Amino acid sequence: MNSNENPLGKINNKPVRPPETMTTLAWKRFRRHPGAVAGSIILTLLILMTVFAGLSPYDPEVSDIKNRYQAPSLEHPFGTDGLGRDLLTRTLYGGRVSMSVGLMVVGITLSIGVPIGSIAGYYGGWIDNVLMRVIDATLSIPSLMFLILLAAILREAELPFVKGNSVMTIAVVLGVLTWPTVARLVRAVFLTVRETDYVKAAEALGASAPRIILREILPNGFGPIIVESTLGVGYAIMEESGLSFLGFGIMPPTPSWGNMLNNAQEHLSTYPWLAIFPGLMIFLTIISVNYIGDGLRDALDPYKILGKIE
Amino acid sequence: MNFRKSLKVLIFGLVALLLLVGVTGCGPKTSGDSGNSITILIPDNPVAFNGINTDTGYEQALGELVMLSLSETDPNGNVFPELAVEIPTVENGGVVLDEDAWTMTATWKLREDVFWADGEQVTADDVVFTWNAMVDAGAWYAPMDYTESVEKVDDFTILVTFSTVFPAYNLMFGGEDVFIYPEHYCDAEAGFYEWNCDSQPLSSGPYILEEWVADDHLTFVKNENYFEEGKPAIDQVIVRIVPEEPVKQQMMLEGDADLHYWPAEPASNLYKEEGNGTKWAKSPTERWVMRLIPNTYVKGDPETPHPFLSDVRVRRALRMSIDVDTIINDIFLGYGVPVWNDFFRPPFNSCDIPRPEYDVEGAAALLEEAGWTDSDGDGVRECNGCDTAEAGTMMTMEYAIYAEYGESLELAQQLIAESWKSIGIGTDLQIIEGAIMWAEAEDGGTEIAGLFELDMWDDGYPGTDPSDQIWTFYSSGSDWNYGHWTNEDMDGYIDEMYTVYEEDYLWAACEAAAILEEELPQILLFSTLEMHGLSERLNGVLPNSNDPVTWNVADWTLEE
Amino acid sequence: MGTYIVRRLLQAIPMLLLVSIALFALVNIAPGGPMSAYSRTNRMPEEKKEEIRRKFGLDKPLPVQYVVWLVGNDWMQIDTDGDGISDGNGTRLGILRGDFGFSYKTREPVLALIADRLPNTVYLMFFTLLFTGIVAVPVGVISAIKQYSGFDITATTLSFMGQAIPEFWLGLLLILLFYGTLDNPFTGEALFPSGGMQTLGAEFSILDRARHLFLPVLMGLVGWVAWYSRFLRSSMLEVINQDYIRTARAKGQTEQKVLYKHALRNALIPLVTMFALDFPYIFTGSLYAELLFSWPGMGRLFYNAATSRDYPILMAILIIGSGIVVLSNLMADIAYAYLDPRVRYE
Repeated sequence: MNSNENPLGKINNKPVRPPETMTTLAWKRFRRHPGAVAGSIILTLLILMTVFAGLSPYDPEVSDIKNRYQAPSLEHPFGTDGLGRDLLTRTLYGGRVSMSVGLMVVGITLSIGVPIGSIAGYYGGWIDNVLMRVIDATLSIPSLMFLILLAAILREAELPFVKGNSVMTIAVVLGVLTWPTVARLVRAVFLTVRETDYVKAAEALGASAPRIILREILPNGFGPIIVESTLGVGYAIMEESGLSFLGFGIMPPTPSWGNMLNNAQEHLSTYPWLAIFPGLMIFLTIISVNYIGDGLRDALDPYKILGKIE
Repeated sequence: MNFRKSLKVLIFGLVALLLLVGVTGCGPKTSGDSGNSITILIPDNPVAFNGINTDTGYEQALGELVMLSLSETDPNGNVFPELAVEIPTVENGGVVLDEDAWTMTATWKLREDVFWADGEQVTADDVVFTWNAMVDAGAWYAPMDYTESVEKVDDFTILVTFSTVFPAYNLMFGGEDVFIYPEHYCDAEAGFYEWNCDSQPLSSGPYILEEWVADDHLTFVKNENYFEEGKPAIDQVIVRIVPEEPVKQQMMLEGDADLHYWPAEPASNLYKEEGNGTKWAKSPTERWVMRLIPNTYVKGDPETPHPFLSDVRVRRALRMSIDVDTIINDIFLGYGVPVWNDFFRPPFNSCDIPRPEYDVEGAAALLEEAGWTDSDGDGVRECNGCDTAEAGTMMTMEYAIYAEYGESLELAQQLIAESWKSIGIGTDLQIIEGAIMWAEAEDGGTEIAGLFELDMWDDGYPGTDPSDQIWTFYSSGSDWNYGHWTNEDMDGYIDEMYTVYEEDYLWAACEAAAILEEELPQILLFSTLEMHGLSERLNGVLPNSNDPVTWNVADWTLEE
Repeated sequence: MGTYIVRRLLQAIPMLLLVSIALFALVNIAPGGPMSAYSRTNRMPEEKKEEIRRKFGLDKPLPVQYVVWLVGNDWMQIDTDGDGISDGNGTRLGILRGDFGFSYKTREPVLALIADRLPNTVYLMFFTLLFTGIVAVPVGVISAIKQYSGFDITATTLSFMGQAIPEFWLGLLLILLFYGTLDNPFTGEALFPSGGMQTLGAEFSILDRARHLFLPVLMGLVGWVAWYSRFLRSSMLEVINQDYIRTARAKGQTEQKVLYKHALRNALIPLVTMFALDFPYIFTGSLYAELLFSWPGMGRLFYNAATSRDYPILMAILIIGSGIVVLSNLMADIAYAYLDPRVRYE
């Protein structure tokens, strides 16, 4: 591999180590971040629990009407809900939904934000100008209010995949609002790297624009993009719960942590556990994700990595 | 000063502030505690003091505090006079029939001792003025379709001429929606929906609006000139707008509120508990009937019959597989009565329509018979020899409720869907906001535009006369026949119901009831009650399924 | 600088137009809307509906409706009764002349509805942001100076927690605790009120106001402080490690002077711009706080309008909000240029 592909080499004017070393170093730094490690462990546990939610002896959608609103017990560690369904099981299934919303939002964000940011940053000029105005315009609309409006509109719309109060609808709504941040980030990376010698050299050698964008420039943005995406998962889970709380999120019977909290409101004075557990899950997930994001930021910071080596 | 020190000062300062603010009494006493004042909790800012210009459902309740009507309905469904001296009837000569032309007139006599808060007298002019304002604005309620004219005879007499015999004439200027407005005060130029009478009403009722801070509260003070001697007993009514249910519950428990308007069912457990300082009040009769409305045509296509909802056997199977008792007793905590026919209240209960049985196996058998079987074993039936669809059509449908009711309705929806799933009927559960469900067709209203397959919501009629509701839901001439089921015989019996002779009415009603049972254009499940949470000290509140709970606010008293 | 501001303002105009077109289109393709609000009972006679449509220009194609919304229709002939003869000019002035139309629901001018709520929101958000500053700045600075100390670790952990708590959930817990559970030991009443801006019917008192502010401010504060203190900590750390601070230290200046005069001042620069970017919240408010604490503010106005599809209100708040965001961005840039001598705009 051509060592010139690594911009860090240019930044420090030093011989550059092979990429494996970079990853290893990042990993070493990540491991030294106690919050990130704890976050990773907790998040892994949470994910495993939601993935294996099917092992629960209870079905999240089958009612047991004689056992409504049971307080937490050995049999039902989180208690039961209004149809006697096991709340732990439902919380785990809700976690699947909430987490997939998080991942889908990041997916949408990246698939819009990265191409737009790349094009704006690579071509510059009027293309950049137009795209930046679109980004500014999107970012200028008050976010929570825009989310509410979009959710209200989209769920009535008859679009191919975005139908009703589905997971996809909410993911699209949130994605519409988050892509500009990533686009800006990617554009900034392009602006820094575009004028470097090795990009110029690649152009002189006749490499195509897509090749330069994808192979030469974009990899430089992986660090910040990974960090941003990680934090984006937390952001999306938080916003989904907020929208559901307001009645504009994912609608029952699909359980999500947000709409479980919303339904728990009527019972806050009588059956508080209905609200406590989903809230705690949101809290744990987001704090883990944020710590991981923080750890990744430290670990993937090129200055810090190289600084340590010196 | 170093940082550590400044931090200590800061923390100390914040803690001190917290203590100071928290512990230092609450300054002046809350007016809610100062004896003769009560606080009512509602979740939304009302639009107006007008039962027709209504949006949140609380407009009528607030209207009752300040406005009067000619007649009202009590909790048992009896119509009683308010501004009128008596209810005109055939017996007392107030109602005169023209048997040949099948038309009628009603003559209303007004009380001569009622005055507006500014000292002007309430007269026949005000009644005629109110009617004209509603007609000019294009406002609609049932009597509008059947009224030829409303005329003033003298200052306290009004003559109404109807184009047909109209049995609901006695609530024409009253009931829950219509109030009488002052001609000398209301700005008729501005129009019925925009005028000052909706925002700064001039009282004829027991209270006077003193202050209205939008989205926060409304304060009402006693009308000293109220016509009923010695009433109202409570000096001040504060209506606070508190959007969140748990906050309202906490306010009731803390004694900061006296009436929790339309609490969610689970709150009853809380309010009924001894020692909470609260109690629970419910209406003696029911009104709102929870019903499933199947669209007998394809969603959004009024030409093509629905693949299975158009088959009465399927509709019957749907009904047979719903465990109404469990829904009432467990989800609605016993606050409901099974209902299976629109003619369910006295005197129509004499029509003798037997209660359907809950029979899941029977339902499955009925579906088999109708040609719907699960041949591929995926748990959902397909058309295998059914009459109404192509072979292989899946038996799945959208099943929607409205969002505002609360969790109880969601749970009922899920329970019903679960039961249907067990016999191979698939559902796609939806929750739609009322603002969309009942919107105009051009605004995408799902009901009127037929943009639904199966919906569940509650509806009912005030008082005792169902004719208008029956016409609305089941007549072929009605735009609000949401399920688009029609039947010529039914149309005939509905026409027959427009009479004031009870015997004829009852006969037509029972014939209609038999058709509804036979055809099941709607599946009725149970009726819900009108319920409110009350503070222990508030007495005299009689929830009324025919009128807002404030209908007798002048009779409410506070225990010291 | 002057030309820069003018250029930025000129750039903002097409952008806001773009936003308004997008919002207008979004709002108008959505179901629910004007006619339903005007014919409450669903049974308004068709002629009457037609008349209302014409009166409010709803019979016109969408682009025309947009133009009317933007610049009004007082220069257009309106045919209210549909007989083909003009019944005089329209009455709308358009948002460019400050006419945001009427609420479908209450028939009141949108601007009047906003004017009712805006002071309440500004009042709540002002104190939320004020206390955010009072708490976040010292916490962030001390965390940075005493990096990896017990204080720093506690503060950082707390700020991670603060950012992970769903705001509305925290609000519910606060109400349960401070209103439902804890009582004032002297009067036996709830420690803090459940909501509202003041005790109804009572004389104005600062203490009473403060009691009503306490819980909603606290609820908002947690997230804000968490965010700002972390932000300040990292910007302070960056500054401390820079050469000129080392130089200042090497020159033998006192630590106090180094920290206050050089480090803090420079670390605050990004904070000021960050604050300018968050300034629009003063206008849009915190919906969760307003819902939970029954606060009559902008958030609830918007939320209620969204649930009842009262589009003139939604459009007005969104477009004014966008305008404020754009202005705040500009203010942020100007503040940055003013505070940081290295930045120059042509």
